[in-house]
Amino acid sequence: MMKQTLTAMAVALAALTAGHATTAHADGKLIVSSPQDPGSWDPIDTFLVNWASLATNVFEGLTYRGPDMKLVPGLATSWEVLDDGLRIRFALREGVTFHNGEDFNAEAVKFTFERLLGDEGAKGPQQANYTAIEYVEIIDDYTVDFHLSQPDAVLLTKLAGYGAMIVPPKYITEMGDDVFNTKPVGTGPFKMVSYEPKIGVQLEANADYWDGAPQLAELEYRFITEPATALAELQSGGVDLVIPPTIPVGMIPTIEADDNLELVTTAGPTVTALRFDTSRGITADADVRKALIMAVDRETIVNSVLGGQASVIASFQGERSFGHDPALKPLPFDPEGAKALLEKAGVAPGATVEINTRGNDATFNEVTQAVAAYLGMVGVTATIKPYETNVLLNDIIPQGKTGEMFQQSWGGWTFDFDNTAYAMYHTGQKWNPYDSDPQLDEMLEAQRPLTDQAERERLLQEIATYAADRALEMPLYNLNAIYATNKRVQNFEPAPDNRLKLNKVSVQ
Amino acid sequence: MSAFLKSRYFSLEFIMGLGLTLGITFCVLFSSWLFPGAGEIDLTARLIAPFQQPAHPFGTDPLGRDVMARVFAGGWISLQVGFVSVVGSVLIGVAVGLVAGYYRGIWDVVVMRSADIQLALPFILLAITIIAIVGGSLTNTILLLIVSQWVQYARLVRAQVLALREREFVLAAQAMGVKSRNIILQHLLPNLLGPVIVLMTLNVANNILLESSLTFLGLGVDPTIPSWGGMLADGRTYLQTAWWVSVFPGLAILLTVLGLNLLGDWLRDSLDPTGRTER
Amino acid sequence: MAGFLLKRLAQAVFVVMVVTLIVSVAVRMTGDPAMMIAQGATDITEADLERIREGLGLNEPFLSQYLATLSGLFTWDFGRSFLGGTPVSTLIGNALPATLLLAFTSLLVSIVISIPLGIRAAIRRGKWEDQLIRILSLVGLSFPNFWLATMLVLLFSITLQWLPPSGMNGIASFIMPAVTMGIILTATNVRLVRTSMLEVMQSQYIMVARAKGLSERTVLYKHALRNCAIPLITFLGLQFGGLLGGIVVVERVFNWPGMGSLAFDAVAGRDYPVLQSVIMILSTLIVLVNLLVDIAYGLIDPRIRTE
Repeated sequence: MMKQTLTAMAVALAALTAGHATTAHADGKLIVSSPQDPGSWDPIDTFLVNWASLATNVFEGLTYRGPDMKLVPGLATSWEVLDDGLRIRFALREGVTFHNGEDFNAEAVKFTFERLLGDEGAKGPQQANYTAIEYVEIIDDYTVDFHLSQPDAVLLTKLAGYGAMIVPPKYITEMGDDVFNTKPVGTGPFKMVSYEPKIGVQLEANADYWDGAPQLAELEYRFITEPATALAELQSGGVDLVIPPTIPVGMIPTIEADDNLELVTTAGPTVTALRFDTSRGITADADVRKALIMAVDRETIVNSVLGGQASVIASFQGERSFGHDPALKPLPFDPEGAKALLEKAGVAPGATVEINTRGNDATFNEVTQAVAAYLGMVGVTATIKPYETNVLLNDIIPQGKTGEMFQQSWGGWTFDFDNTAYAMYHTGQKWNPYDSDPQLDEMLEAQRPLTDQAERERLLQEIATYAADRALEMPLYNLNAIYATNKRVQNFEPAPDNRLKLNKVSVQ
Repeated sequence: MSAFLKSRYFSLEFIMGLGLTLGITFCVLFSSWLFPGAGEIDLTARLIAPFQQPAHPFGTDPLGRDVMARVFAGGWISLQVGFVSVVGSVLIGVAVGLVAGYYRGIWDVVVMRSADIQLALPFILLAITIIAIVGGSLTNTILLLIVSQWVQYARLVRAQVLALREREFVLAAQAMGVKSRNIILQHLLPNLLGPVIVLMTLNVANNILLESSLTFLGLGVDPTIPSWGGMLADGRTYLQTAWWVSVFPGLAILLTVLGLNLLGDWLRDSLDPTGRTER
Repeated sequence: MAGFLLKRLAQAVFVVMVVTLIVSVAVRMTGDPAMMIAQGATDITEADLERIREGLGLNEPFLSQYLATLSGLFTWDFGRSFLGGTPVSTLIGNALPATLLLAFTSLLVSIVISIPLGIRAAIRRGKWEDQLIRILSLVGLSFPNFWLATMLVLLFSITLQWLPPSGMNGIASFIMPAVTMGIILTATNVRLVRTSMLEVMQSQYIMVARAKGLSERTVLYKHALRNCAIPLITFLGLQFGGLLGGIVVVERVFNWPGMGSLAFDAVAGRDYPVLQSVIMILSTLIVLVNLLVDIAYGLIDPRIRTE
């Protein structure tokens, strides 16, 4: 025990005397600031967006979805949906090797999914997303069949990320899961060189990458939580790229004012709404809920508080979501109409609502205060009670202990409204502590097994309209994913879902 | 009065300390009267620089609220936390300390071991854990401070009582058959107030800083209620484009805490020359 | 003396056990880590959660979990982080030296500032310089340290680009965090140096040294200062504990890879093993330092032992 501490002390002392090297990047090295260390790099262990913002460079799935949101071949060159969606046949890419030299083939695919769906996967959160897969059958070295217990319309997208990343069988069997957690091996454009927990990760280019060697020789990630600290590092040249979710909207003017920096934003998956307790209080009445929505000038909030880095939404999804209906318009800002509705519903001026928010969300903190001010103008007194994020998510909301309104920021990386709507509206779901609507349940269940995507989209749009009609939440906005880079970074394309693949990026 | 001005107690420290403390307390207490209706959200008047508009001498914040009004109103939280937590700790601590010092026995053990535990717990780490459980609120912050600080007073008072109870005037009173309760209240209590007052003053200052740290870490109170720590935390985002949002509340904390520290330092010289209240 | 030592040691063990108990109980009230881990999954069921809890060892009786934590102090095995499964000992092995180094550097900064100021104040006792020094050192004590830190970063990292704004990487990276922490201690230390200098300077042997015609400088820095050393060192021991407790905020602002940052992330992630180990180890360190100070005192001044 003492020895370990002493060694670490020595390392720290060495660091003390090593001197500071902010501006002296080697040629072709990019340093990224990421807000969180996922702790393990094993695909089946994680649920964190910031796992994906690094691991997308190390691992690949059978399918791939880049910044343009189109699903394209990844480690599979083509696929065929058979047997009414109960079987999918993949042709695998030949000549691909893992970073340790191991061959990528049908065996690796089978191993990956047996691991994910077996005991090892059971310890992590990813297994539940892939339960539609019954088993993987090897047809030949470069062909596999996925047998499903029920059709899963989103499965091909889900194969592009997280738990479905293909892992090397021999490496894991020989080295064990512990080694794999900290020194992951995949087929992606960058190899992991070293990982220091809570500090950072060093990667180097995989010269043999099947899609061509990356432009960068080296890649480093540093874990920096505080936005102001990350920005200070960016400004002083300590990092080249700050990825979301780090930079609050309020820091955008600072970035724009700095000649060395560039702001890059794109519509992200995260939508934010204030949901209602539909079971009691004044918000049990749909007309009151509509009045509260109409009382708030969402357009002005987006343009002033959010500096235009968001778009107002009509239902609980953004424009890129599958199930988005351009015909559905947000309720207008109409304080007079709101007052009339409130009066009709018998809500006297001075009625109160409590809004629960995440305490550490600087941007939303300002938004809620503006919302409270607007509600005040139609005679509804709003108090704000922030909770620590995890308390809100794991205790207050699931157990139905919120005030009349509560913050929900939600975004499935699959950009499929089913992911949102089912979790938010279906009876008995963790995120739906208050409402139970048999008709809505039925609509939600009906679209799930469909393989006809056009029909499924139509049903999802119907669900969105139905929920908006009942005013189940106050839809606020779809916030952009905010990246900031040093101008020496070239060819950077912002990933809406934070799954960054940096093989085409270079530095000057 | 003129004798006081010439005495050794009169000093720059004293003038500055008293001036700052009284001045800021006055502004904070009468803030709603000095700035009626100010501090309301106005999205058309966001981030106005200071000294530009007479209505907003310290400028406005990202939601268009007047910074000056919020700085003075925000002091209310800090002063409440500072004073209430200290008064609470003193009430408990002094009572327990008196009993422990006078009667010894089990109370003595309780005080000494609690003191050991309190000294060993890293306060902010414990605070973030507890706040994660109970949620952030003014009451919770105050309770947390009382729970972790009463023992400082108990220990101080106990040590004093141990010394005093052997003194002649106490022994004499005991010999005359005065009730223990009266000995404690009439003979012991007045004699140990000096160091307690010094510790109180320094702790008010310290607790104002702790409250702002907790709020800064995002464990504070309702964001619609202005507080210095909260304003500083929010203002950090705008530091480079709108310095006034965080610089004014920062100065407010600095000056308030400085005033109390100066006063405490001066009180220590006057009331507790042997330095028993060294923190 | 042996009795005194044993008694103090027993008390220290008791304190560590109680503190660990308090922390273990408190940590378990912060929420369900299984919920936390399952957050990203859709359609999670109670059975899934139960499976994750079982995997984390949360279904063991509390007493055995508590004893396992406590025994980590001897075996240096604190279990694994709930987030990613890294052994806690690895995390602490990295974070503890970082925190200790910062704490030592902060003490050093404070001493370097305090001694000359304290001596100057003692020589100029009652003069305006004395008052100015005391007031200035109190200004240092009154800064909200996270605010001071932010201001320093703005000036030295962003505007002047002299110092790195975060991380632990080379001597330069120690300057701002150590100054931020050290300045808080300066007020107390200046006062301490001043008081002890005043006492020492009235002692006979300084008078003798002066009478021998030694230079004032030699008298002050060689003879007088040596006599302030004991109270100063004792006091630094006590400050060390306070320093470890208060370091969280500064670590946060400077992204310092220390115990505070570790604990802060652990609270957010409901990472019981990490959180309770961090607090337990810091508490144990504080208790040990206080014990040493106590023993030192006991050796110097036997009267303390009876109390």
